[in-house]
Amino acid sequence: MVVEEIVCIFMPCLTAAVFLAGIVSRIKNWNRAGAARLPLFPTPATSREKWKRILLESLTFEQLSDGNRSLWIGTSVFHLFLFMVLIGHIMLISNFTLLWKYLGFENGRGDKIGSAIGGTAGLILLASAIYLLIRRFASVRVREISGVEDYASIVLILAVVISGDFVRFSSNFDPASVREFCSGLVGLRITAIPRDPCFLLHLFLAQVLIMYIPFSKFLHIPGVFYTKSVLYQS
Amino acid sequence: MDLQPQMLHQTELEKAKGAVRAIRNGPMVLQLYMDICAKCGTCAKQCHVSQGDPNSYANPAIRSDRLRRLYNAERSVLSKILRSAGFTNGDGLTEANLQSWAKDFYSCSGCRRCAKFCPLGIDNSVITRKARSILHSIGLTPRKICAIQQSDARVGNGEGVNAPTATEIAEFLEGELLEEHAIPIRIPIDRKADVLLVTSAGEILSYPETLMGYAAFFHSAGIDWTLSSHAFDAANYGLFTGDDAHMRLKNKRLHDASIDLGVKKLVIGECGHAYRVASQIGGKNFWGKDIPYEITSIFILAAEVIRRRGVKLDSTRNPMVVTYHDPCNYARSTGLTEEPREVLRACAGEFREMSPNRDNNWCCGGGGGLAVLDSSEGVRGMDSFYEYRMTRTGKKKLEQVDQTGAAYVAAPCFNCKRQIEQLMKYHQREVAVGSVFDLVGKAIVLRG
Repeated sequence: MVVEEIVCIFMPCLTAAVFLAGIVSRIKNWNRAGAARLPLFPTPATSREKWKRILLESLTFEQLSDGNRSLWIGTSVFHLFLFMVLIGHIMLISNFTLLWKYLGFENGRGDKIGSAIGGTAGLILLASAIYLLIRRFASVRVREISGVEDYASIVLILAVVISGDFVRFSSNFDPASVREFCSGLVGLRITAIPRDPCFLLHLFLAQVLIMYIPFSKFLHIPGVFYTKSVLYQS
Repeated sequence: MDLQPQMLHQTELEKAKGAVRAIRNGPMVLQLYMDICAKCGTCAKQCHVSQGDPNSYANPAIRSDRLRRLYNAERSVLSKILRSAGFTNGDGLTEANLQSWAKDFYSCSGCRRCAKFCPLGIDNSVITRKARSILHSIGLTPRKICAIQQSDARVGNGEGVNAPTATEIAEFLEGELLEEHAIPIRIPIDRKADVLLVTSAGEILSYPETLMGYAAFFHSAGIDWTLSSHAFDAANYGLFTGDDAHMRLKNKRLHDASIDLGVKKLVIGECGHAYRVASQIGGKNFWGKDIPYEITSIFILAAEVIRRRGVKLDSTRNPMVVTYHDPCNYARSTGLTEEPREVLRACAGEFREMSPNRDNNWCCGGGGGLAVLDSSEGVRGMDSFYEYRMTRTGKKKLEQVDQTGAAYVAAPCFNCKRQIEQLMKYHQREVAVGSVFDLVGKAIVLRG
């Protein structure tokens, strides 16, 4: 079917091209622009301390724990489980047979454990994304700064997460066939395309999200390291 | 007096658009701030203006969006499609919009408290300054601030004091010092010395006790110092108006005076932004080479003298409960938090901290040049900007001062001092407001 081929063969090439071109051009722009001296005190004494602090703050959202406690909890859960789910997706490229064997699990148990952890993480991720959407209109100060882009971003994430959860919990989900397709894709080989419509929808939405990153507020992922390195210059 | 009764022409709008487009060339942070804001709303929680004013225009993210929207619209068709729809405020660059820019960007005091709490490291004060520089280039800077900067460019200080008058003021204050301490204490002008003291001209005229405090301190510590009759004002309105050329002009004046008088140290008095500009933007960073003098603050100098017991201070002469207001430009922009406290503790009976303090301190509500704005120019639905400062932007500071129960607020910055003093009077609090060196002047024990 044409739709399947578009989503599974043509679109991944487009996604990779758009994402890479977009992010490279944006980062090139940032690097090209002249820097300004704007330290925010107290500043770290050495460059080592500076990067330690930037890394720590970027991983723990430390400022929110003082400045916006409820968001701190919500966004920490969201980002943490998003990270876990992304790591879990590596299971779709390789089965890590050796790892499971090393951990003492018999063959085939890997997918079951992955299914349990991944499924739970997917549901928690869904809950935290819903929280982020709800607070966008529940709090006046957040509602008034929210525009189409802000709602679109979180709705897109929700769509990706919901379709992903459907794939995970649907009765005919077959990790092995998806793994065959994904590892083929990574190795630039065309293999049998999975026929699960939930999977196709999830793959389609995920690619839209990836292409959207360089043109949207999702730029905060690479950007935060730049902004903080300016604030914490010694 | 309402808004500036000035018509904007197409050339001015084009100029503004050009300036927005030029953000592409830097600075880097400004581009990043345009690109990465996630609209989480944390800045609104941590901003004294949005805490005091529930209207949406007081929300820092909305204010910054005014520039952000234009930046994206001016950039590319794709950005226009993908991002412009996402902004909540402002529709392109029209005369009416620019007039409301003046209101918005002159209600942000550029205190950088939002930067302290932003999880993405966005410093809204940079956006504010950029917008103000665009306003300045098309003549929309509030008149009072514009007048001060013009006077500054003409005669060397924002108060329009010429060199002979400055000498007269110094002579008059020498008389006052003689009366207070019963010994002759000099306020030297234009002499070759080790230390050149520069401070805010507003402070010299409105709070002369502070200059008298410096003089008594230098006298007692045996430091050879001088003022400059044409470069005594360190206040740099170029930081407030976004006019880099003026900022350079002022920096050059201080530099030239330091060279002419052959000083070892250029000491900045109790003026927050002056110390920030001189130490972070001026000096080595500005001249790009080793300069033959050191730039420091009166507090760093005084704390060092106090540590080695170079002066005698009698703290019982200031028996009241004293609290300290951290000016944003000291605490967040230069890291000067401990030295002023050391000086204050040495000359005050009881010292109490405000909460929060240091780099988390709330802005007084008059920062970024706002404290000199009183009229109704550019104000939305209020009698005057003075009212706005008293009932909105100063609300957090009033709460903080009330909590300490202090009888004296030491605010080592002309902006903060004026704002907090007016705040106390407006809300009928029996709280005195002044400089740290007013107290030093009172506590100092002079030996003949």
